[in-house]
Parts: sequence; structure tokens; C-alpha cells
Amino acid sequence: MSDHKERLDQSLSALMDGEATDIELHRLLKEVSEGSELRDKWKRYHMVSSAIKGDAAIASIDYSAAIAAAIDEEPAHRQSALAVFAGSAGRFAIAASVALVAVFGVQQLNSPLDSIAPVSEFAGVEQVNEENTGPAIQFPSGFQPVINARTVSAGGNNKSSQFVTPIIEVRQKTQRNYSEAQLRAYMNDVMAKHSKHATLNSNQGMLPFARLNEAEAAAKKE
Amino acid sequence: MVFSRLVRTIKVAALVAAVLLNGPLFAAPMESAHDLMSKMAKASRELNYQGLFTYEYRGNLTSVKLTHGVQDGQIYERIQHMDGAKRDGLRRTDNVDCLRTGDMLLRGSAYRINDQSYARLEDFYKFHIKGQGRIANRQVVMVHVLPKDKHRYGYVVAIDKESGLLLQSVLMSHTGKPLERFQFVDITIGGSMLELGFDPEASDFADVALDQSNCIDDNRQITTSVSNWDTQWLPPGFVMASHKIADRDGQESMMFTDGLAVFSVFIDIDKGRSLPAIDANLGATVAVLTKADINNQEYAICVVGEIPRATANQIASAISLSPSLSPSPSPSKSSSP
Repeated sequence: MSDHKERLDQSLSALMDGEATDIELHRLLKEVSEGSELRDKWKRYHMVSSAIKGDAAIASIDYSAAIAAAIDEEPAHRQSALAVFAGSAGRFAIAASVALVAVFGVQQLNSPLDSIAPVSEFAGVEQVNEENTGPAIQFPSGFQPVINARTVSAGGNNKSSQFVTPIIEVRQKTQRNYSEAQLRAYMNDVMAKHSKHATLNSNQGMLPFARLNEAEAAAKKE
Repeated sequence: MVFSRLVRTIKVAALVAAVLLNGPLFAAPMESAHDLMSKMAKASRELNYQGLFTYEYRGNLTSVKLTHGVQDGQIYERIQHMDGAKRDGLRRTDNVDCLRTGDMLLRGSAYRINDQSYARLEDFYKFHIKGQGRIANRQVVMVHVLPKDKHRYGYVVAIDKESGLLLQSVLMSHTGKPLERFQFVDITIGGSMLELGFDPEASDFADVALDQSNCIDDNRQITTSVSNWDTQWLPPGFVMASHKIADRDGQESMMFTDGLAVFSVFIDIDKGRSLPAIDANLGATVAVLTKADINNQEYAICVVGEIPRATANQIASAISLSPSLSPSPSPSKSSSP
């Protein structure tokens, strides 16, 4: 008959052999829930396979209706959280949650730092406002007000480039009576100088280099 | 005959195993976290290596290729940016044996603050070895470094087992959130200057100025010029690592470290009028700019470092001109518009 039916038959065979793909299984389940022709076929296949394997042939008692009815009587459990979760987010989400558990698992030791997965939490950066004394102000190029500090794609003001540019966030404490360019130049300068000093004087190996690069890049943007 | 020798071998092996297993009872064959940290301080300077590292903060990531070579007591470094604008850098440091304040602290020696008091890293951080891991395809020892007070941040570091190089460092806030992450993704340790791609005569460095800084003298103190400025409050454990007197632009700078964290203080003699009091941060680096009006001079005082903002604020607000000394005359430049 139709291609569709043929495909379903093939899928069903595959399913019986344990070789059906997710898509095939999905299609079969959908079809079975709608029409009984395929369901009967499925049942027959099962009986045949049981007979071949030497199981007692379980004649033609159909439990499915009873089971379906029983399930219907339990509305609270019809959509378990897991089913919704698995259904909507799919395998990836489950895999990710397993990975997350693994990360947490490995770090379950015993210090305050243990319960953290550094990699996964980079987006949620510590709020910089500890004792904010003034309003955040908008700076042009390179500067970003603290309000936007939580965005991950920080390179918003450099859309022409695929690379994220370093951003210095600034909070103003007093009235504004200075040149922004001058302030930026000063901030970039002291940060670059600090990092340069640190490469010589700290023990963090090459780490201050990385910071130096950021500061220099910020300075270069001016 | 053969059998008895075998028995003896087994006995010796058992004894060795017993000694190793009970290591801590027999003066620790296992490296302590602190040994690791001090090994790290040495390794990053004294070894030849070439690698790629990434630096990440707040969703920004950059990658850098680094080559580090030592020849005739001088350190040669090439820093090459792998993304963004093309930027390469060469750096040359004069003295591989120069011990700096930070090295001293990290190596476990007490730094002599004055005749009575000594600063030790262990007084301010707790070190926990957290097992092993793999970074840049090398076996590493993971160490958690926890601050004992609120004035500094903690770290999660990975130290190469074999060489002692720092292969990963994550700066952690007090709430346990990562502020920045530095990590090698690939590294080759060893190799001659030539193999590292440096000219063996280092002639490509001929134009590169030497970076110099304050080395520690026999007295376990750095020799610095006297500053006109007093840091009336420093977070405990921080000591001065370098000091530069006012340059042509009238900027004086000091650097302090507790062995791990570093912050700098910049004092500008004539910028106070043109700069606002402001807080800024770039990645994990915070800058607090305050102004001081002394003898009709408006000074800009800026504290920059990888320290909590509150600490930086406290340091900045406690800096004052030494009462014993008169303020240094303003060098040439007139005050800005």
C-alpha cells in the first residue's frame, strides 16, 4: 500500500529486532495510539517472537486497554516531571545533568570551594556592587556600566568583531566634571602598569601576563 | 640460596612499602601543598617551556602562546596573541636568581617586616591538596588555597606534578564564584633556546629593554627608596614588593603582595583635579580611585589589584602623606585644565 505503511512495517520489524531508531520508535508509538491495525500486528509479532523463543504463548489477552484505563485513573502521575523534562529537553539535557552531577560529585570534598564547578558558573559572575556609592553611568567605547555587568557576551559594543573586547566597568562616585577620555586613559594605564609589575613580582606564573594582555587590549582600544 | 635472596628482597620491599605508606610518620615523603606552591614559584621562572594558555573572565576568553627560555641567567619570553588584534610581545628579565618579596613569601620563608614581626603565607591562607587531575594532557595536583580573612581571594590551582609549573589558576570570590580562570591547554616543557624558536644569541631581544624589579637582600628586605606616603592600613600579610619614586609625570607607585595576591598603589600629584573618584574593574582586577587634597595639591590615589573592592577601598582611604616629610614639589607639569 502506501509508502508510509511499508515504512511502519519495516520500523516495527526493526523494533522487534531491537534495532529501531528513536524516530522510528516515536512514529510507531504515534501510529499505535491512533489506529489498531498496527497494534494488532505488533501484538502478533510479539506472540510469534515469544513462540519462537519458547515462551508460553500468551494467547490473545490484551492488557493494553486495562493498563491504559488504569493509567487514566491516575491523573496526577500522567505527566511526571521526568517525562516532561526528558521530553522537552531531550537526551542532551539528561546528559548535561549527568555531567553536572559528575562535576559536583568529583568536587564533593570538604572546603567551601568544593561545591563549585568553576566552568559552569562563569556566566553568573559575582555582583560587583558591594557598597555602591553612586549611580552607574554610561561610558562610550570600552566602558560598560555596572548594570550590564552580568551579561555574558560582554563585547556588545564591538559588533563588527567576533572577538570579545575587554571591558572596564566603572562606577562614579561624585559629580561629573572631568574628561572621560582622560579617565579611560588613566584607568587603562594604571591597570596595565599593575599587571606588568605583577608579572615580575607575583608567583602566579604566567597569570599576570594574561591580565596584562587584557589591560593592554583595553588601552589599545582607546 | 635463590629463595633466601628472594625472601630478603621481599622483606626489604615490604619495609620500603611500610615506610612509604606511613610517610607522614617518617617526615613526609609526600609533598605538602606548601612545598608544591614554593616549587611552583621556582619552576615558572627557571624552566624552559612553550605552551598555549587561555584566560577567561566574565564570558571573555583570550588565548595566548607563550615561550619562556632561560639563558645565561636571563629570562626571555615571547607572548603571542592567538585571537583578536595581532599582538606579539618580547620580554627580557635580567636576573633569574633575583628573589622577590612574593617568591620569598611563597617559598615559605618568613619575610621580615621589621625586627619583631614576620609575615608568612600560612598565616593568611589555608592550603588543601585536593587530589590529582589532568590539565593540558599532564598530570597535575589540584590545590585549593583558601583565604583566612575577607581581605583577599582564594584560588583553585593545578600544579604540574613533574615540573611544578602552574597549569591552571582560578580566582575565587568569597562566595565561591570564579572571577577569572587561567589555564594551559597545551604545554611542552624543556628544549633549548633554539628549539623554542629563539635566536640562540637572543639578538632578536637586542631592542627589548630589561625589566627590573626589587630583589630581596640578605637582610630579607627589599631596598626601596623612602616614600613620602604612608599606607596607614594594609590588609594583614601584605608587604611592599617594590616602590618607584615619582616619574616625569609625577606618578609614584608602590606594589604590595602577600605572596599570592598583588595590588599596586599609584599616586599622581596633579591628576586629582581632572579625575573623578571612581571605582572600576577589568576582569578580576579592581581599581579604586580616590582624591586627597593636601596643601592645596589635589592628589589622585589609585589602588589597583586582584583583591576585593572593599579591601581596595579601605587601603585607598588610609593612604596619607607622611607627616614627617614635606610634600615633594610638583614636577614641572602645570595642573591640567
